[in-house]
Amino acid sequence: MICDIQRGGPSTGLPTKTEQADLLQAMFSRNSEAPIPILAPSTPGDCFWVAVEACRIALKYMVPVIILSDGYLANGAEPWRIPTVDEIPGIQVKFATDPNGFHPYSRNPETLARPWAIPGTPGLEHRVGGIEKQDVTGNINYEPLNHEKMVRLRAAKVEAVGQDIPDVVPVGDPDGDLLIVAWGSTYGAITAGMKPMRAKGHRIGHVHLRHLNPLPRNLGEVLGRYRQVLVPEMNMGQLLMLLRAKYLVDAQGYNKIQGQPFKQVEIEAKIEEILG
Amino acid sequence: MTTASIPVLTKKDFQTDQEVRWCPGCGDYAILSAVQSVFPELGIPREKFVVISGIGCSSRFPYYMNTFGFHTIHGRAPAVATGVKIAHPELEVWVATGDGDSLAIGGNHTIHMLRRNVGIKVLMFNNKIYGLTKGQYSPTSEFGKKTKSTPYGTADRPFNPLGLAIGADTGFVARSVDVFQGHLKDTLKKAAAHKGSAYVEILQNCNIFNDGAWFNLTEKEARSEHVVQLDHGKPLIYGKNRDKGIRLNGMELEVVHLGNGNGLTEKDLLVHDEKHPNPAYAFLLAQMEEKPGFPTPIGVLRSWDRDRYEDVMAKQIQDVIAKRGPGDLAKLLHAGDTWEVR
Repeated sequence: MICDIQRGGPSTGLPTKTEQADLLQAMFSRNSEAPIPILAPSTPGDCFWVAVEACRIALKYMVPVIILSDGYLANGAEPWRIPTVDEIPGIQVKFATDPNGFHPYSRNPETLARPWAIPGTPGLEHRVGGIEKQDVTGNINYEPLNHEKMVRLRAAKVEAVGQDIPDVVPVGDPDGDLLIVAWGSTYGAITAGMKPMRAKGHRIGHVHLRHLNPLPRNLGEVLGRYRQVLVPEMNMGQLLMLLRAKYLVDAQGYNKIQGQPFKQVEIEAKIEEILG
Repeated sequence: MTTASIPVLTKKDFQTDQEVRWCPGCGDYAILSAVQSVFPELGIPREKFVVISGIGCSSRFPYYMNTFGFHTIHGRAPAVATGVKIAHPELEVWVATGDGDSLAIGGNHTIHMLRRNVGIKVLMFNNKIYGLTKGQYSPTSEFGKKTKSTPYGTADRPFNPLGLAIGADTGFVARSVDVFQGHLKDTLKKAAAHKGSAYVEILQNCNIFNDGAWFNLTEKEARSEHVVQLDHGKPLIYGKNRDKGIRLNGMELEVVHLGNGNGLTEKDLLVHDEKHPNPAYAFLLAQMEEKPGFPTPIGVLRSWDRDRYEDVMAKQIQDVIAKRGPGDLAKLLHAGDTWEVR
């Protein structure tokens, strides 16, 4: 579990000010191609539920998970209804125990996760490590086709996380003139900022992504329901780049990189500028 | 635990079927052989061993040991090993590392693991070079050494690995040599028996990229003349004819010759005390070979016990639970500033 509470960068940057410019780093920063699931909370209280969801994914799919929060959420506060313990979904973990048929690099067909064998369990002795391994056996293996298979398998496992992710349902109008797609702490400013133009009759929807990798499976279809797509972000256009590349959608960005959150009047003004 | 419950293990039980990738003639084969011979004799079930490494030729080690193993990232074996040992203090955690992996990029992790006295046995294969990457200098290469990355000679003085370990107040500090098989096995057994951090420097010959680095100690006549074996309670005596020894003169060690008319005998020599309370004593021993005319000491320089990090941590958790009860999630969720909306 990696918690990146993003702040003005690069380097020490503006250590106490907010930004959300680590999305592409989270997507692509591991050496070679080694994707990991990425989640982002939208409100201070949401941080709790995102952490629970991140643990669920990490333990079900046996994969590191990164949570991208930011300074605005970290320094923010909101009333939060305390859940009962029963409301918190349980997370089941199954450890490998039987040496019969145990292969350290075999995979669960549904999740593509490898078995979890705790050191100290008799009969399950095996080695893990950075060198490329043979599918199923886990022996060191440099064969060309095995490597390609393993790279694709690791990516497929992260894609498989998508099977549990609920479809996105836009807040506001389900189709129409403008879809605002965003993530992280911009949630509040967008929610308030889109109200006045909707009141004037424009059809505007808002999708606030909690899962950034993999993206929800119906997102492409939802993007197609609106004439224009706006992506407000506190960076130079990172989610914008991902959406344009993956969905070939001519989305536009609204980019503020000042160590300050968006104001609702700024969002309102931008929507007005776009819709005339 | 009775011995009847543990099957008798042999060297073969600890060998894997993986093709060994070290160069023919590499000193690592000798170290692997010694470890595979010693592990079965420790009376510990095979599943309890965990061998953890970083990056380098040294760090291919786990793949050749039929135990749980982690081949981690450059310099980070101590971090992973510390995690394993804290999570499962009952496991026998060994680290295989090299002079590059543990003292260059891994220097920081190394000193903290030793400082904390985590119960990990560290085998540091010192060949005074970066072998896997084909011959750049390492933090233990001699000053002025010409290598691929230092064509005109290094500009830095090397670390003294054992001195570094003593500086971190390591409880067990020892040195052996890849080709001194009997001594190496004996040293490994002593390290295995030590409860806290055990740091063993193993002088290893990389015959491709730094051949002969230790020949002044390992070649035929060299051992008896240039190596002094440390044995607890025994005098520091060496030489083919046992005619040389080490004496403590104030705060300095000096080499003395016995029986050549100066009246000195074995009784005048320094008697090794691996439990000497002052780390300065062990430090003097660690520095010995840097002085011209002195032999290189092998064996256990220092061996003493103190609380292990994982035990202090486990006890703290136990004590707090005894005082405040086990964790209660509902209580934790309702802790702090809460109010009710009616």
